Amino acid sequence: MSNYGTARHSPSSFSSPASTTLFRRLTWEGTVPLEIRVDSKELPANSNRGLECYFIQAPRVTYLPLLIPEIKRFLLDVVFDEEAARILKEEDWWFESEDGHLLKWHWPIGLIYDNHTTLASSRGGASMSSRPNAVPLRLILHLASPPTDKLLLAPSAEACKQAFMGQLKEADFLRWGNTKRMTGLRKAEQDGIWEGIKEHNFDDYWRVASKVTPTTTPARPSSPPPSAASVSLHTRPPSADPQGAPDRDGAYSVRSVPVRLYLPEGPVMQDLAPPLLEDGSPNTLSEFLSLHLPLLFPAPSSSSQTPRNLAYPLIQGVRAPPEAELAWLGACLAGADGWVNVCIGLLRDVQGR
Amino acid sequence: MPSWATGDPVDSLSEGLEALEAYKKKDPAKVIVRFKAVGNAPIMKQNFFKVTVSNRFQAVIQFLRKELGWKAGEPLFTYINLAFSPAPDDTVANLYRSFATEGHLIVNYSTTAAWG
Repeated sequence: MSNYGTARHSPSSFSSPASTTLFRRLTWEGTVPLEIRVDSKELPANSNRGLECYFIQAPRVTYLPLLIPEIKRFLLDVVFDEEAARILKEEDWWFESEDGHLLKWHWPIGLIYDNHTTLASSRGGASMSSRPNAVPLRLILHLASPPTDKLLLAPSAEACKQAFMGQLKEADFLRWGNTKRMTGLRKAEQDGIWEGIKEHNFDDYWRVASKVTPTTTPARPSSPPPSAASVSLHTRPPSADPQGAPDRDGAYSVRSVPVRLYLPEGPVMQDLAPPLLEDGSPNTLSEFLSLHLPLLFPAPSSSSQTPRNLAYPLIQGVRAPPEAELAWLGACLAGADGWVNVCIGLLRDVQGR
Repeated sequence: MPSWATGDPVDSLSEGLEALEAYKKKDPAKVIVRFKAVGNAPIMKQNFFKVTVSNRFQAVIQFLRKELGWKAGEPLFTYINLAFSPAPDDTVANLYRSFATEGHLIVNYSTTAAWG
């Protein structure tokens, strides 16, 4: 993660098409380990006890309702008998974390995982730091009595899709002040972007997403043409590239980057995040955090040399460097719903692990 | 490469926890929410309301349903700026900061899906 912090003298030279595609691919392919256990009190009679635990490496960009078919197949094959299978209603299923937090249907799984990681950082004891990396997040699957008022959404893939489309449109509105790019998509394209998530297909997703996501292609005529190798990696259709045109779709032309800050036990904070500061220099993660969370990320002042940060930002499971530019994050490290989710964890050692 | 490293570990953790507590405090500020009917939805006589910013959008929807006398199960679709439906757990504070128009947060409501 060190190659993009080096060339940052001008906003348009920071990223080549190849590196954009690389980071989008890395974001897309990111997975998190989950351990899903059926609540033992709700296991139907005659279940094969001891096997009611399912391990999965789930894509960060997917959602809990989309995992249910796979979990159900496992439970029916291995754990439940035919009688239990007959009365099972998956619309009653819901998830809780091990410590009793309700898990949201409409949060991407990567966000649920990162939020859990930062939550552990704010709790006493050595819980997270003494455990190896990538421990599974333990989830309890309940088979009955969903607390619908707290889940806020019907626990169905359809409700999840609607929420996802809503987030894409909200991101679109933040970037451009309207949702023309989203509403300009044909029905088949809108469905296709969701199918891309469901099937976890990078190309299907980006075929449509490239029409609404800002580009990082350098707009300067002096910039070298992308090499043949990077073109083949690049999934954006040639017609969508603003070659030679003003950078109307560029990451630095947006009104605001869709960013949310997640504090360990809330709140979630959202505000306008312009890609450029008033002096025209790129807005960075550290500028943004100092502005909105000054108690955790004190702004540099003339009197003290180095400000003492008390926390760190986690984006797609990565501790993002302070100089990361918001525009770049929005174009390359946003989730599939278009949002850059920044989970804030507390530093508990000198190195910041 | 610059990092987020800090000074004394014990001190920073307790200071960090204090900061988190401060950010958890609910903001008592209020902003104006303006409801606007779309399509066949009934128009409200009084459509400006002062809403505490720490409320979630879900609470705004529930308030609107009550004002309209909507029964449970009757469909009501809500949008910001005729453009999108926010997540029900997003706060009025966040929505107002990002989407307020001339000092109002405009919430459109419809009996059918409009910009689903």
